[in-house]
Amino acid sequence: MAGRRALKAVLIDLSGTLHIEDTAVPGAQDALNRLRQASVAVKFVTNTTKESKRNLLERLQRLNFDVQEKEIFTSLSAARSLVEQKHHRPLLLLEDSALEDFMGIDTSEPNAVVIGLSPDHFNYQTLNQAFRMILEGAPLIAIHKARYYKRKDGLALGPGPFVTGLEYAADCKATVVGKPEKSFFTQALSDLGCSPTEAVMIGDDARDDVGGAQNAGMLGILVQTGKYREGDENKINPPPHLTCDSFPEAVAHILKNLL
Amino acid sequence: MADMDWPSCGKSLKGVILDMCGVLYDSGEGGGVAIPGSIEAVKKLKASDLQLRFCTNETQLNREAFVDKLKRLGFDISVSEVFSPAPAAVAILKERGYRPHLLVYDGLLPEFDSVDTTNPNCVVIGDAAEKFSYQNLNEAFRVLIGLEKPVLFSLGQGRYYKETDGLALDVGAYMKALEYACDLKAEVVGKPSPIFFQSVLNDMRLQPHEALMIGDDLVNDVGGAQHCGMKGVQVRTGKYRPSDERHSTVTADGTVDDLAQAVDMILKQRH
Repeated sequence: MAGRRALKAVLIDLSGTLHIEDTAVPGAQDALNRLRQASVAVKFVTNTTKESKRNLLERLQRLNFDVQEKEIFTSLSAARSLVEQKHHRPLLLLEDSALEDFMGIDTSEPNAVVIGLSPDHFNYQTLNQAFRMILEGAPLIAIHKARYYKRKDGLALGPGPFVTGLEYAADCKATVVGKPEKSFFTQALSDLGCSPTEAVMIGDDARDDVGGAQNAGMLGILVQTGKYREGDENKINPPPHLTCDSFPEAVAHILKNLL
Repeated sequence: MADMDWPSCGKSLKGVILDMCGVLYDSGEGGGVAIPGSIEAVKKLKASDLQLRFCTNETQLNREAFVDKLKRLGFDISVSEVFSPAPAAVAILKERGYRPHLLVYDGLLPEFDSVDTTNPNCVVIGDAAEKFSYQNLNEAFRVLIGLEKPVLFSLGQGRYYKETDGLALDVGAYMKALEYACDLKAEVVGKPSPIFFQSVLNDMRLQPHEALMIGDDLVNDVGGAQHCGMKGVQVRTGKYRPSDERHSTVTADGTVDDLAQAVDMILKQRH
């Protein structure tokens, strides 16, 4: 692409790209090691509303990936940094497992609502409480707006429907912090000291990973693992910089063509 | 034509439709309280040559229980005069061969006694209040997402309403949640749906221009009625707010202090 500068950073999605549930994508660990030998920064970015960084790190280490906690940036991290930046005291509609990423945040007399996937909190009383706060002017911050997700017992509602319902009732717009928001990608890059034009994103979700990254000015590589379905590359415009079999092939392309 | 304006349209009127909550009574503990003058106003309308119907988006009680509540407050009213979303939904379900999965308040379930709910091929939601749990919403979602062509009926589309202990989310918020989850558009049954107003007009055998709607909700009562070709008058009781009188899309044909004043103005035209 004209005007594109030398590559400085690679952002990598986790679930569906490096591993599928508790199995690593074949060759992904070695490919990550090869990437680390090149002079690029690496960051792992994911939309999660219930897994803390520590949980994610433990799984990656169990699968023998060479990863450090400070290299992980999640939608929860993005929410936390927004809350800190605005000095909000949030009402956290999050599962307990996510709360450790908000340790140290003042949640007394809340003046903002942070909403993730939290079936325990999605009941009439708690949603009314959140609604009343929003109607009185508290900002609504959504970890992401996924419609639904797959559970062992079938499909289940994601946080998106509840965010949408609150938006309608209070006639407001939520600030979404996770992928595919532009701010998510720029924040993930911010401490690496590089601009989006110097970065590439690898992921299995055409809209959230590749479309979002490209919309932020990065290159996007779509891997045909995880949630990829045939034809996904045609769902976004402009199309992915590259669509390839899996993570090792994406790394080979970067090492050969983008450095 | 001067006769088309409020209040001179009262001369040629043949029927009046009244909203209930906020026009007849204010809700609250123990069934609420009648709005001053409204019991007498209903009596006057009944004594006149005008036809009278009541039209509510109430979906927490079945009509029998709801009418009983109003009788206890002192209103002369019968079930056959009351139009609410549930019976309208039942008519639609039967006509189109739908078997609903119901996510409604327990008190409303008797309205659906005559409807086949086995092997559901659509979802009906009403203001289910505390029954709006994650699990119940998920069940409704799974029925919808499992259908080749998902169909969602919503009994009203209100954003919120006032409860004694504060504001509460109305059915519209949960309708929007399911719409977003399944990427569909719900069919709203009840005000402001034109089909709903039309069913009231059909019952009175009147044309839209022969009828007048009186309500406290500018968008759903007044706007909905006007959309059908009826006149719409707003009362300054219930959920009325002064900003309604400079609303960007809906302008009432008339705004009156309360039902008593509206009825006196109409009847004065007819003497």
